[in-house]
Amino acid sequence: MNTTGANGPFRFMECSLLPVSTGFRAQTLRELRSAVPEIPESSLYYHFWGRMLRPHIAESEFNNDFASWADGGLGDTELAEALSAVNPVKCKDLGELRSILEDILEARLDQGDFLSWKKADREFYFIACKKFMFDTGKVTSSLEDFPVAVKTVSRQSFFHHFLDGRRRSPEGKDDFSLWLEQFGEGTAEVRRLLGRVDSYLFSLGELKGQIVSILEKGLRKGGKK
Amino acid sequence: MMSDMLKQYGEVIGFHAMDSLLAIAERLRGKRIVHVNSTRAGGGVAEILSSMVPLSRELGLDVSWEVIEGDEPFFACTKTLHNSLQGMAGGLSEGQVASYTATNERNAEKLKESLEGADYVFIHDPQPAALLGMMPGRKGKWIWRCHIDVSAPNRSVWRFVKKQVEGYDASIFSLPDFAQPLSHPQFLITPSIDPLSEKNIPLSKAEVEKTYRELGVPRDKPVILQVSRFDRFKDPLGVIESYRIAREHADIRLVLAGGGAADDPESGEVLSAVREAAAGDPDISVLVLPPDAHRAINALQSGADVIVQKSTREGFGLTVSEGMWKRKPVIGGDVGGIRLQVINRFNGFRVRSPEGAAIRIRYLLTHRWKRERMGVNARQYVLENFLITGQLRNYLSLLVTLDGGEGEWERWI
Repeated sequence: MNTTGANGPFRFMECSLLPVSTGFRAQTLRELRSAVPEIPESSLYYHFWGRMLRPHIAESEFNNDFASWADGGLGDTELAEALSAVNPVKCKDLGELRSILEDILEARLDQGDFLSWKKADREFYFIACKKFMFDTGKVTSSLEDFPVAVKTVSRQSFFHHFLDGRRRSPEGKDDFSLWLEQFGEGTAEVRRLLGRVDSYLFSLGELKGQIVSILEKGLRKGGKK
Repeated sequence: MMSDMLKQYGEVIGFHAMDSLLAIAERLRGKRIVHVNSTRAGGGVAEILSSMVPLSRELGLDVSWEVIEGDEPFFACTKTLHNSLQGMAGGLSEGQVASYTATNERNAEKLKESLEGADYVFIHDPQPAALLGMMPGRKGKWIWRCHIDVSAPNRSVWRFVKKQVEGYDASIFSLPDFAQPLSHPQFLITPSIDPLSEKNIPLSKAEVEKTYRELGVPRDKPVILQVSRFDRFKDPLGVIESYRIAREHADIRLVLAGGGAADDPESGEVLSAVREAAAGDPDISVLVLPPDAHRAINALQSGADVIVQKSTREGFGLTVSEGMWKRKPVIGGDVGGIRLQVINRFNGFRVRSPEGAAIRIRYLLTHRWKRERMGVNARQYVLENFLITGQLRNYLSLLVTLDGGEGEWERWI
């Protein structure tokens, strides 16, 4: 489904994401490694992307739940750093992301026996998700109106277009940038700035504030297409 | 056009969030939804339903709320169920099982028409869980909503409950730790508070002062407050111990405020133990409030200096979010849903002992600006995560998801 109308008006979509228990849990690195091949793909999605929609504060410097647990639960900072270096947007699909994760965990286990049985302070619960997406009916065609339109969408709609958009696009571009491409050079700087935003180090609210600020500053002199 | 009630919610959560709630509700128009629980007043479940049902109706949904009727032996049985699911030793006697089954049968007869014809039925907690097996003509989807911490249940009692809930189309738990092996999908949805309810609306300073006066709590010293049912898992005796340790360094008052719920026969016993422990200390106020004393609780929370919820087991602990909504950092037991609400040093502290609670009480009383900063964070955290509008959105999304059947995990509707 064309979610943005890349060559027409921008159509705002929205998603609802519900966490679902998988029954898999891990208290050691070996248990984590054993579970990763077994969990559904939506669990990988949840722990890399879906986490942005659940209660959390933007305090962690790690960009996925596996890295956060390795650091905070297992106390293995080296592993946490390796896991947080994974950029899920660069993976062609969730299968590739799973393989990368498996390789990192395997490599760490190879480094020492102690790591395989060290118990974490808290268990890692693998959570899957169910997600549906729908058209909100909200549309905008004008560059001038675009920042306000983005500012007034729900957090789930913002998540869908910015964070999840980067996953869906083969080039890792968010929906806003893709839509702005039709305006040519006039929006190049805005698109460059949007592309540079590190989406994982902020809460969704903070991230939205940043994106709106870039759009407001960059599109001030825009006009109707 | 939005009704006045929806506008009021919109002013709190933002109109864009209200629009998306309406958009999801639109997909369920014409469907009949029924909630069933075991008490109309007292406790978190009844409070949530008191807000959720009117809000759902305001969104144009056909929603009703049924309460099962039970006698004393039935509620004694379900209290045992509740305690055992939270890990207490013991099991159900044959008499208790018979009482549970007979009560559900009686209620099934009464509710048959309503429940068999419904498109979706939410059954809250184990008390009415057996109704499903007594509705052979049911046409809709049935969801079991478990509000209890069942992370380490008494196994024999869990087996009994599992038999009742295995046939449901889905279940909902508050945390992943609570989910148990079942053959249907187990969704994870946190409960919530209602920002427009009597318990959470902003009150004037004068009303807060008046309430404290009326309840006989002087305002001459900082107030440490725990609001909760008189239930052993809420650890009111542990709170008294924390207060006694903290008092060696700080001149403070302790207020333990709560009441029983119609489905909780044990509260009298716990209350007696609390009164005995507090006897002779004029700085401890034990307040037994009626189930509808929402405004008084609001005033107590608004006027408190530090709020405590030192539970040793907790399904979720909505009093934590209530306190945080009033811009108070909360000192909470490091258990269950409190872990999701209280982030250490950000909006409160999680503790594992009376000593731990005591040191945090002293810390918050002596670091005023940190207390205020954490209070601001606490309010924002609740706004983003634990309001009734968000929970309702998740419930409605679940129904839409169930209609899609088993299939791809992501889909367009």
